[in-house]
Amino acid sequence: MIVLVLVETVLLAMLTVLVAGLLRAHGTVLRRLHALDGGVGRDAGFTMRPPAVPTTRPDQDPQAHDVTGETVDGELVTARVADVDHDTLLLFLSSGCESCGAFWGDLAGPLLLPVGTRVLVVAQDRDLESTSALARLTPPGVDVVLSSDAWRDYEVPGSPHAVFVDGPRGRVRGEGTGQSLRQVAQLLAQSTGDAGFVVTPSTGKPGRDARQESEVDQALLAAGILPGDPRLYGEDV
Amino acid sequence: MTAVAAYGLRVELPRAWEARLYRRAGPLRAAGHPEAFGHPDASVNPVLHLANFPLPPGRGDFGTGAVERMGAAHVFVSLVEYDRAEVGRPLFAARGLPRLRVADFAPQALQRRLPGQLGCQRFFTVGGRAMCLYVVLGSRRHAADLVDETDAVVTGLEVAAA
Repeated sequence: MIVLVLVETVLLAMLTVLVAGLLRAHGTVLRRLHALDGGVGRDAGFTMRPPAVPTTRPDQDPQAHDVTGETVDGELVTARVADVDHDTLLLFLSSGCESCGAFWGDLAGPLLLPVGTRVLVVAQDRDLESTSALARLTPPGVDVVLSSDAWRDYEVPGSPHAVFVDGPRGRVRGEGTGQSLRQVAQLLAQSTGDAGFVVTPSTGKPGRDARQESEVDQALLAAGILPGDPRLYGEDV
Repeated sequence: MTAVAAYGLRVELPRAWEARLYRRAGPLRAAGHPEAFGHPDASVNPVLHLANFPLPPGRGDFGTGAVERMGAAHVFVSLVEYDRAEVGRPLFAARGLPRLRVADFAPQALQRRLPGQLGCQRFFTVGGRAMCLYVVLGSRRHAADLVDETDAVVTGLEVAAA
C-alpha cells in the first residue's frame, strides 16, 4: 500500500511538472505569435542605456550594427550607424502592421528629433514584405531600407520597434516601442533629458510644403512632364 | 571592412563611408527631389554613390539632393557608367581608374555650384566600360585629407570587364 502511494505521488509530481512546462510553452508561443502579428497592444516603453542609475558599464551596451539591404526600388544600401558622428533612430516597421500606421503618419510631418539625428526606417526583406504597400506608405524623403539582417542583428521582437543608436560610441543607447513616433520621441526625451526630441525644429521645410511639392511633382510626372521639360519654363511648345 | 558589390563593381568602404548602388530602370518612387524622377536621357546603367555622410534617398545621378547636405569635412563620389556605344569616343579616351590630386578640384567643375565646395570630373574607360567619376569636396580646408582618402577608395575600386 505504501509503495502504491509513493508511486502515485511520484506520478502526480511528474504530471505537475509536465503541465507547468506545457503552460509555459503555450505562453511563449502566444507571446511570439502576438509579436509576429504586429505587436498590437504592446506596452509603450523605452529602455535607455545607461539608465539614470547606472547598473552596467556603458561599454557593455549592445553593439550597434550598420544597416545593409536594399530600397523598394532595388537600390543597394550600406548605411553607417556605428562609429559615425551622428546618432540614428532606427524604426523597424512593416506594411502589414496596424499599429505601425501612426508611425508612417508621423513620418510625413516634421520630426521631433535632436538636430543631426538620422531616421532610418527598416522593413524586412522583399520576400517578407509588400513592396508596393511600402511604397504607398512611405512619405516623400523618408529613407526605407529592406533588411531582415538588421532585424536579426538588433533582435527586433516585432513591429513597431525603435532603436536609438549613439553613433560616436557605436552602441545602442535605448530601444522600445510606443503608439506613435511622437510618443517614442516623448519617451526618448524623458529618458535622455534631451528637449530636442520634443521641441519643434525651427529649420527645415514644413511637412505640408514637402507634401505639396511631392504632389505637384507626381502630377507633372503623370502628365509626362519631366525635369528639364521646356513647358516648365513657359517656352512655346 | 565593409564592401559593396553588384553590376560588375566592387568597392571597399573606409570607416564612416556609406554606399548606394543602383541601376535606374525607370523613375524612382517616393523621391524626395524632382531630379530623382529621372530625365528622359538618364542613365539606365549602374550608378555608384559613396560618401562619408548619410546619403539621403532620392538623389540625382550626380548627387543633387545630397551635396546640399554636405559639411566642410564631407566628400561625395558618383561613379556613373555610360552606354557601351560610348566606348572608343574621344571623351572616354583615358584608360584605367583616374588618380585624384587636390589641384584637379575647382568650384567651376561642380555640377551645381554651392558655397565652399570643390568638384572634379573625369571620364575614362576601364574594362571596356565607359565611365564618369564625379567627386565633390565639402571645403578647400579639408581638401588634402579628403582627396587622399577618396583616391584610396577609387584606386581600390574593382570593375569587371564588359
